[in-house]
Amino acid sequence: MLLQRGKSLGFILIFVLILLILITLPFFVNLFYQTFLTELFVWILFAISFDLIFGYTGLLSFGQALFLGLGSYTVTISIKKFGLSTEPALLLSIIIPMIFSWFVGYFSVKLSGIHFVIITIIFALIGNIIGETWTSFTGGSDGLTFSPRPFHLGLFQINLMDIKGNYYFVLAIVAICYLFLRRMVQSPLGKVFISIRENEERARLIGYNVQRYKLIAFIIAGGLSGLAGGLYSLTLKYAAASYLHWSVSGHAVVYTIVGGMGTLIGPVLGAGIVMSLEHYLINILQATDLVVGIVLVFMVLVAPKGLVGLIQSRFKKGKVSA
Amino acid sequence: MISNLSVAILNAVVWGMIMALIALGLNMIFGLLHIINMAHGALYMLGAVVAWYLIQGTGNFWIALVIAPLCVAGVGILMERGLLRSIEDKPITTIICTFGIMLVIQQLVLMIFGGSPRRIAAPIPYRFSLFQLQYPLMRVVVAIISILVMAGLWFFLNKTKYGLWMRAVVQDREMAVGLGIPVNKVYMWTFVLGSALAAFSGVLAAPIVSVDFMMGREVLIMAFIIVIVGGMGNLEGSVIAAIMISMIQGIGALFVPPAIATVFALAFMIIVLLFRPQGLFGE
Amino acid sequence: MPEKNEIILELKEVNKSFGGLLAVNRVNLSIRKGELRALIGPNGAGKTTLLNLVTGTLRASSGQIFFKNKEITHLSSHQISHEGIARTMQITSLFSGLTVFENIWTAVQSRKKFFNPFIRALKWQDVKEKTDSMLELTGLKDKAQLICSELSYGDQRILEMGIALSTEPDLLLLDEPTAGLNSQESMALVKKMRNMLSGQTIILVEHDMGVVMELADNISVLHYGAILAEGTPDIIKENEEVKKVYLGSEHA
Repeated sequence: MLLQRGKSLGFILIFVLILLILITLPFFVNLFYQTFLTELFVWILFAISFDLIFGYTGLLSFGQALFLGLGSYTVTISIKKFGLSTEPALLLSIIIPMIFSWFVGYFSVKLSGIHFVIITIIFALIGNIIGETWTSFTGGSDGLTFSPRPFHLGLFQINLMDIKGNYYFVLAIVAICYLFLRRMVQSPLGKVFISIRENEERARLIGYNVQRYKLIAFIIAGGLSGLAGGLYSLTLKYAAASYLHWSVSGHAVVYTIVGGMGTLIGPVLGAGIVMSLEHYLINILQATDLVVGIVLVFMVLVAPKGLVGLIQSRFKKGKVSA
Repeated sequence: MISNLSVAILNAVVWGMIMALIALGLNMIFGLLHIINMAHGALYMLGAVVAWYLIQGTGNFWIALVIAPLCVAGVGILMERGLLRSIEDKPITTIICTFGIMLVIQQLVLMIFGGSPRRIAAPIPYRFSLFQLQYPLMRVVVAIISILVMAGLWFFLNKTKYGLWMRAVVQDREMAVGLGIPVNKVYMWTFVLGSALAAFSGVLAAPIVSVDFMMGREVLIMAFIIVIVGGMGNLEGSVIAAIMISMIQGIGALFVPPAIATVFALAFMIIVLLFRPQGLFGE
Repeated sequence: MPEKNEIILELKEVNKSFGGLLAVNRVNLSIRKGELRALIGPNGAGKTTLLNLVTGTLRASSGQIFFKNKEITHLSSHQISHEGIARTMQITSLFSGLTVFENIWTAVQSRKKFFNPFIRALKWQDVKEKTDSMLELTGLKDKAQLICSELSYGDQRILEMGIALSTEPDLLLLDEPTAGLNSQESMALVKKMRNMLSGQTIILVEHDMGVVMELADNISVLHYGAILAEGTPDIIKENEEVKKVYLGSEHA
């Protein structure tokens, strides 16, 4: 018990420290890096939402891009076409993807293993094709641009057209989502998800309605992926049908595998490292995904538990020999 | 109308044959190794790209049709021996790994071959008339070649020692080991054969479609649809499903936009997955 | 409170066929509260299939299954667990990447109705206490923080029983608990089982006749999916037919 408390205290300290660094960072780095970091936060949210469904519940979903794209379109279209203000638009970017993920999940969780993987790819593909084809509504592959109004929070007002304002806005939401997910995976509900990942049959035999909890995980992950999409569009002021493509889910897969699945800090590290790598490589190499692919294959084969797993095993070894 | 329809049917048959070859490769690998090879479309693309270079060098399509699949088969050996071997018992991990391999192959081609599409001229430029329309003879030849390859494959699987081994391993792996069948070798050759089939269809398709680094993306999904509708592990089912689906797509595209036809195909696949996961033609 | 002799589980004319093959053939079976019933029979006699029917892992082709006077024939596994049936598997089935503590915890908390996503699991004092007492009962307290794949095979079998018991079952199905253990380990396990499982109603599928004779109140013999004989160990031992098809073939 004491150990647990010590652990959470350590976590709070580190979390606050990183948050403080990220809060002061915009005063030291230029607008380019501020945008880069904002995008990084968005992808972190996308990756940790994917980790909930893959790393914690054991379901490899390539359909998360569908919910990312839906969230992104929800924000864009509700602001551009329906003149909504930013607050309800962002709220809708959670709710609408959740409704869709309910629908997709309802069918998908009936399947398991590779069949589940394939059905999520198909659903995302259908979304992508509809997005590409229904150009009058979605702008197709050209996409849609818009300008969001300031976000109001009580007395505060955040100007999202300002890069720094947008940075803090996204940072705050992603940090809250991280804490929310961290609490969830340690909660009784999280224990249910983990038990399904570890042994579906055993979970069922001790009385868990496995399909129902898979669906719940899928809906929560879908809502958070949608929120990531909404934030992405608020950052870029843009949405396009290509975000709906199933291969966009690959980003989340890469970050989660590289960092370490089933740990929330893993996808955060993974996203940070891989995106920085891409950022530095883009000047030398036209095909940055080449390195991403190599890193992914390497990690899957050599360190399937990701960087966090590597660090943990190093730590454990050290402890044993000491 | 009748001429449009007959051209559409003919096109669908030709394309169905090519898709059948691709799907057969995918399905053999799945049936035996239980690997969903996400890089299969990339191998198809690689076949076409290698063929493009070979034709630049030799000026002969037929040489490319033989050599390119052999080159890609080499890539297949590297993939199976070098990478997938250690994770073959974990289907989900192999999906992620082959997804990474797909990225690598696509991006390497993008770097070397460039991003713009290129064309390969049909080695048989003749056309024959079909209800007042001119139809390229090459496509008919492509269909015939595909049928010959499928016949060869059938012969290989049913009448040779290696084919017998393959079927034995599919039936019961443990037993096959017990009977002294070199299961690891069978795995490798199946993967190699599947890769070569993908590349071979890539070369066959090259004169019909244009060659670029993303050409395998749609094909991969179509191949998935075919394998699932025909039944995973059911090779005959794949051939029937390939022809059936490209017929529906080809003829459907006369009446509705192709995107809608594809959406219907995908929705159909979801229904098959949910209600007949063993495929339409499984028992 | 059910009476001592009350029938807790009843199978009526239960059939299960796979394709054309009849794996369970018109089985009638009544288990009384507090009884330890052994289910024996040669390989492929349909013992595990029968357990699968009771736990809803498989659906009966025909016939009815009643548990505590309620029909459970068409309930799914998780519902049957909440009716009060728990089970261990022939091939050990654990949450293999989790610690012993987490394994038991997960089973104990399964009796809750609502899983709050906003509190830490360890806040549930009652679950924690129950988990600790289960660890005590199984004798795995010292190993609570080990990942369960690090446990010895015998301990894994015990842990699986602990998981099953943690769901507070009224009926426990044990599918070959001594499978894969040598005779020494088997005896140790049986000794432990006596402590852990006293007072439980149990159906025990077992190959080891020593274990069966030692533990069982009654024995049902399955042969080709049908019940061949039923009775106390002494009666079964003397049954000529049983000797012929089962004991005979095993010892010949």
